[in-house]
Amino acid sequence: MEIRITGLRKHYASDGRIIKALDDVDLTIPSNQIFTLLGPSGCGKTTLLRSIVGLESPDAGEIRIGDDIVYSSAQNISLPTEKRGLGMVFQTYAIWPHMNVYDNVAYPLQNRKVPKEEIRRRVAETLAFVQLEGYENRPATKLSGGQQQRVALARALVAKPRVILFDEPLSNLDAKLREETRKELKTFLYDLQITAVYVTHDRVEALALSDTIAVMRTGRIIEIGSPKKIYFDAESEFVADFIGRANLVKAVVRQQLPGTTIVDSGIGRLSCRKGDFPPDTKVTLCLRPEFISLARGDHPGTNVVQGTIVSMVFVGDAFEGEIRVGDQHLLARIEPETDLAVGDEVGFQVSPDHCLLVAG
Amino acid sequence: MTGRHSGLTLLLIAIVGFLTICPVIMLIFGSLSEGLTASGKFTLAKYITAYTDPALLEVIWNTVIFVGGAATTATALALFLAYLNIRTDIPFKFIFGIISIIPMMIPHLLFSVSWVLLLNPSNGILNLILQQAFSLHHAPFNIYSLPGMVLVEGLLDLPIAYLIIAPAMASFDASLEESSRVCGASTAKTIFRITLPVLRPAILAAFILCVIRGLASFAVPSVIGMPGRIYVLATHLYQMVSTGFAADYGKAAAVGMSVLLASIILIYLYRYLTSASDRFVTIAGRGYKPTIIKLQRSKIPLFLILGFLSFILIILPVVVLFYTSLVPYSMVPSMRALSMMGLKHWIEVLNDPISLLSLKNSLFLGVVGATLGIVLSIFVAYVIVKVRSRSAGILESLSFLSFSFPGIVIGVGFMWFFVRTPLYATVWALLIGYIATYLPYGIRPLSSAFVQIHDHLEESSLVAGASYLTTLRRIVIPLLVPGIVSGWVLMATMFVRELSLSVVLSRPGTEVLAVQILRFSEDGLWGKLSALGIMMIGVSTLLVLLVTLIGRWFRPVDR
Repeated sequence: MEIRITGLRKHYASDGRIIKALDDVDLTIPSNQIFTLLGPSGCGKTTLLRSIVGLESPDAGEIRIGDDIVYSSAQNISLPTEKRGLGMVFQTYAIWPHMNVYDNVAYPLQNRKVPKEEIRRRVAETLAFVQLEGYENRPATKLSGGQQQRVALARALVAKPRVILFDEPLSNLDAKLREETRKELKTFLYDLQITAVYVTHDRVEALALSDTIAVMRTGRIIEIGSPKKIYFDAESEFVADFIGRANLVKAVVRQQLPGTTIVDSGIGRLSCRKGDFPPDTKVTLCLRPEFISLARGDHPGTNVVQGTIVSMVFVGDAFEGEIRVGDQHLLARIEPETDLAVGDEVGFQVSPDHCLLVAG
Repeated sequence: MTGRHSGLTLLLIAIVGFLTICPVIMLIFGSLSEGLTASGKFTLAKYITAYTDPALLEVIWNTVIFVGGAATTATALALFLAYLNIRTDIPFKFIFGIISIIPMMIPHLLFSVSWVLLLNPSNGILNLILQQAFSLHHAPFNIYSLPGMVLVEGLLDLPIAYLIIAPAMASFDASLEESSRVCGASTAKTIFRITLPVLRPAILAAFILCVIRGLASFAVPSVIGMPGRIYVLATHLYQMVSTGFAADYGKAAAVGMSVLLASIILIYLYRYLTSASDRFVTIAGRGYKPTIIKLQRSKIPLFLILGFLSFILIILPVVVLFYTSLVPYSMVPSMRALSMMGLKHWIEVLNDPISLLSLKNSLFLGVVGATLGIVLSIFVAYVIVKVRSRSAGILESLSFLSFSFPGIVIGVGFMWFFVRTPLYATVWALLIGYIATYLPYGIRPLSSAFVQIHDHLEESSLVAGASYLTTLRRIVIPLLVPGIVSGWVLMATMFVRELSLSVVLSRPGTEVLAVQILRFSEDGLWGKLSALGIMMIGVSTLLVLLVTLIGRWFRPVDR
């Protein structure tokens, strides 16, 4: 079910300042996709999600789910949460501690006045789907974090909602479990073919799970695209920096050639991924550490950068190296079994495709 | 940590054990032995006479209605107030803070008296006003009735129920309710299927504590129940031990054993439930934010209810007492009443040697008793929180026991004990009894103060080169000051107004304020009663202010 949001606005007053949690947001969330709202805390992503589900009332704008208007300030419509027919997984899971697993999952169906027999059948079916068969009578308080998460998912899915919403559902799990659960969730959602809106501040989670990512900042959506587009071809410095580790170097556009843009930057003249900038525009060059592969000595050819290793920190799967190029410092990933050492003169050749130019 | 303090722990177990177990044992012995003392030959005669008493059935029935009704009233009102305060946008929220501390300010005895002054059938002020206004032949209300007792006791227990329910409501994870809404349940359905069931342990705990307090309550049954010939267990016992020369302590002890047993069972049930509710109301993790319900149209009516409640809880009792202390006899407020006002009752009380003695005794008990009590509490709380050995667990259970003690029952046990010592009929007997009965009120705030002093705070002081004594002086004591102050204030105010234990232990020469006030009430001397009552409130308030100021002076940094 497609969600269309137009002109959505929500302002808070806090300490005498106006905080724009949602600043005239226009957004279309396509149906049957995993759509992620990504951004730092306080960017408005949770407010947007809660407005869709009806737990937050916006100041102005319109929200349509499918053909239904669930909120419209102009038409004075605000459908209460319980009538919107959605499913949601909360950050704290919100598993009701006074009920067992069966009652938790059956609750949405009971509210929809589904016959008892069918409730039994659908709860069993849903619990099987999230691999919790046999847990029906387990008290909710006697579940592990991962199991609670799956009960929350089952409860959100059981009534076959039009849309399922996730509010940072993995942030309460420890690192290892988070990775496992993320994979599990991906499989579940892939099998379901349902519209899912997922809120997170974790870029890895967003990249791994989403069909589409919308990056938010100070109440606005600043960029929408597939994970690869956001990672490799971001339009703004903020998005490029937020979605992964990045070296950001000031540069000036010199020349536009077919298929590439030539810039002069703090680390030399480079041929970059084609960017739509007129000559002499000031831009930022974004170079991810993982695409810098260092080797000792001079490098022949084009798009070469030469520098000196300033520091190397071993972090297990690699060294985090810092190299000085002129008066610039760049982060670089260095293979863990390298024979390079601090003080070595090194260089690297970088593919123009990995030199991203963003405005600013 | 375990081995180091075993000597201290054992000493404390001996002291606290003596204070709490000794009266219980005396009560058991006294109820089972022949004659007036607690060391006669074994007999079940006292139990047989006590439990075949035909009046007992009605007393038990009255007690059930009184205690159950009051606990229900208090819990329901507390739930309502807690919800208003924590989950809605009702204005003037500071009122809730005042409601939760008034029991420290207005003693139960005086609160009951003020309702008698308002609603007694012969000359209750409110009754007289209504009679005049509607030219009625009879007083419309009679406070001397079971509903009257339930109402007043319910209002008195309201703050304690509120103090249990409000924090549980505040730590309630709002997403439990939000997810119910997402699952298709309306607000009302969510309240009944999610909010109330999740809060159930806290609600039950509040109800049980109110039941325990209702069982122990003596002020309301004596001031409101006895004039209407409505006896509950507490007054039934009081009647046995106070009827002049034929005091029957044995029979009282036999009945009292059941009350004590019920209270002890209930208090451990209460403790189980509060620990269960801590486990129950969980998470409240990051991003937690309670949703505030906008009241809109119901805002003004609800606020009026709140205003009315705080008026009858806080303002009315004090105003009524003050008014009564100034007019020569009960009369409706009018110009004539105003013209007749004077300090006659005040002067009489200040010239009454017994009233002055009771003032002196109560002040002594408040100051000295609370000080000794708090010193004991510091050590007990330290062992319970910081030592945590098996014997520390025993100490905790022991010190918790007296939470359940109904004063009048335990008083009989103490009486038998003190009779055999030179302490009998001295203020020291009262002092020891008070500390034994109210020890948990001193331990509670100090335990929470000790919990806040993480071991690392002491350890880092030692690592920084301070000696153990310096650490105690510069780190531990300053952090304890708030706990000491609130524990002292709690104990002192309770001691100044103590009634139920005192009516049994007080003898000529050891009169205390509450007992003297009860005498005035039995004799219908409302003017003198009110004057002495206001002095009593004045003494407590003065002590509270003084100690709060001293505590502030000790506080190392301004927070």
